[in-house]
Amino acid sequence: MRNTIFTAGAGAAAIAAAIALAGPAQAAEGDAQLSVLHGVPGLTVDVWVNGERTLDDFTPGTLAGPLALPAGAYDLAITASDAADASAAVIGPVSVTLAANGNYTAVANLDAAGKPTANLFTNNVSQIEAGKGKLTVRHTAAAPAVDVLAGGTAVISNLANPNEQTLTLDPGTIPAAVAAAGTTAPVIGPADVTVAEGTHTIVYAWGSLTDKNLQLAVQTIEGLHSAPGSVPGALDGSAKTAAVEPAAIALGFGAIAIALLFGGMGAARALGGLRKQR
Amino acid sequence: MNRGTTTAGESRRRSFDFAGAAFLVAAALLLPACAPAGPTPPQPPAAASSPAATSSPAATADGATSPPAPPATTAPAASPEAAAPVVPVRPATPPAAAPQEPAPTSLTVAGTSIDFPVVPGGVSDEGAMEIPDAFDLAAWYRFGPAPGATAGTAVIAGHIDTKSDNAPFSQLKSLAAGTAIRVGRDGAPALNYRVVKVELMAKDSFDGEALFRRSGPHELKVVTCGGRWLDERMDYSDNVIVTAVLE
Repeated sequence: MRNTIFTAGAGAAAIAAAIALAGPAQAAEGDAQLSVLHGVPGLTVDVWVNGERTLDDFTPGTLAGPLALPAGAYDLAITASDAADASAAVIGPVSVTLAANGNYTAVANLDAAGKPTANLFTNNVSQIEAGKGKLTVRHTAAAPAVDVLAGGTAVISNLANPNEQTLTLDPGTIPAAVAAAGTTAPVIGPADVTVAEGTHTIVYAWGSLTDKNLQLAVQTIEGLHSAPGSVPGALDGSAKTAAVEPAAIALGFGAIAIALLFGGMGAARALGGLRKQR
Repeated sequence: MNRGTTTAGESRRRSFDFAGAAFLVAAALLLPACAPAGPTPPQPPAAASSPAATSSPAATADGATSPPAPPATTAPAASPEAAAPVVPVRPATPPAAAPQEPAPTSLTVAGTSIDFPVVPGGVSDEGAMEIPDAFDLAAWYRFGPAPGATAGTAVIAGHIDTKSDNAPFSQLKSLAAGTAIRVGRDGAPALNYRVVKVELMAKDSFDGEALFRRSGPHELKVVTCGGRWLDERMDYSDNVIVTAVLE
């Protein structure tokens, strides 16, 4: 049951599909990375970049890319599939500017009122602190503002189309649900969303509340991990402040006792001499 | 003991050299940094060492599956006649869980008393690798590659000392090249490694990206503390890093 809320329409054939792209032949240093998500239900389209057909027969719920593009401005247009050119766009044309080394997802989706539109999201591909993962939720559905619930508790509140919100989390699987803002009755899910360490998982709510086809799409950006800052990373006092107080007191007594002991024995000098011999 | 290395015991005795260092002395006895072994390890103040890893540009590997890194060529913007690249298209469904390598469960180093259970360890709130407080237990960095992985380093770390004595891991610094290391695994055959080098890495210039790398040739890294004991830091100056490769 849970799987059904995810985009499943594309089928296995699409997994292996690779579409020729009228773009630069080779990725170059500094290229931007562009992914494209189709989030308009019931519409098979072609995607045009600068007047060139880039994605042919692109179906709802599929994610294309990433495509390496030199930094610069691009015109994106979406037409009915098999359009002869980009002149009769159903979405766009929109002009987008891609920065060098930027990472973007262009989404064809419905706005809150149900009209097809396009949004360009900038994906955060900065390194994630060791041991954590990131989860971003993007509202790209024809629906009012929503809350995102994890195990019944709102972790993101009042998220409206076309906004996004990002959480940094411990890795794990979250039973996530989407509900109208301020409520807890799911309109999507609950569905298991896995947040992996060092990975930015981006979840899109798409479809239409009215048409009862709200669902989730998932994009992951891996390889954002960073290494622990030390081994074995001793000296982690800050996190356990409560425990430090009594320990510090005990330590104080210990220190006094030892100082007395060694002071009385004159051991400090003797051992100091030992050290110098080394 | 090897030149340039300091056992915990020596360090603590040395501490008495410093007039007015009684507090530190006591702390050293009660709080062996780098290796608090005991039921309720107190937490010493944070040391001014080991900031988080790097400021290198973020990787931009994208996609549900690991794509090859973009070639680092500097080809000019391609002409339309150039071979058209292909754009992968896939359902925007959650990625399949990556197959997990079996977790290591034990570590045995020939010719030493190191014969420990190994438990998975993560990252502390302060960004350090988590290691159990027990001196006879080692931790495997569970977010990195496992022993036997096809690429990257499997990191297993343990404490060099206990509250009162050297722990078996203090023997790591003396391992000869060729020493056998055996890693038992959960539900999989044990793996046999051979030591290829033993090195010290100063904590001041801790290179986590190198130690915890996730690509490149597979190696086992067995890590503990070493070098000099630094009173002012309540910590050792270095990490001892044993590198071993599969037989």
